[in-house]
Amino acid sequence: MELILFLLFAVIAVACGINLVVQKHPISSALSLIGVMGSLAVLYLLLGAEFLAAAQLIVYAGAIMVLFVFVIMLLNAGTEPRARYRSYAKVFGIGALVAFLGLIAYIVQSFLPPTEGVQFGKFTGGGADKIGIKLFTDYLLPFEIVSVLILIAVFGAIVLARKEIE
Amino acid sequence: MLQPASVPLSWYLILSAILFGLGIAGFLLRRNIITVFMSIELMLNAVNLSFITFS
Repeated sequence: MELILFLLFAVIAVACGINLVVQKHPISSALSLIGVMGSLAVLYLLLGAEFLAAAQLIVYAGAIMVLFVFVIMLLNAGTEPRARYRSYAKVFGIGALVAFLGLIAYIVQSFLPPTEGVQFGKFTGGGADKIGIKLFTDYLLPFEIVSVLILIAVFGAIVLARKEIE
Repeated sequence: MLQPASVPLSWYLILSAILFGLGIAGFLLRRNIITVFMSIELMLNAVNLSFITFS
């Protein structure tokens, strides 16, 4: 069951990722990216990270993609012209891509120590309560540093977006 | 005894590598700046998947 779910959503994620790169119009790419985010949320749920799956759906597939679609529609982005590539560049690029993916698969399969399989419900501790306790006890300093970083980003957005007042 | 319905951990890493490669391809090949940014988001999500796999 887990294998079927993993394979189904991995294939959906890879297909949507290929569609993202291939499509000409940015709206089509954005919709494909929503598909990638949703299937990745299901994969997080399979890995036992419940809070991160919910956050992925709410923050990425909800908020950030709405922002993307708004920006695309406000900028009125059209289809981009088809780029011309040399034929030997195509052949060499596809060959290099296949070699790269094969090399990574070989390295992961052979050099990493063999691990037991992932089972649904085996890993616990991905809930919101556990993450909150960890965040406010062990990882308090990185949490505060990230909050300062977000504050700096907010200040930067205000400075960049404000009208010049003479 | 081997559990019949378990997913090897390395498959998640291979999926993460494939998504990261797709993000790099989109980042290098596309001209539109919004699509380039979406490819960066794709790479970010691939790295997140490998982090959660290792956790």
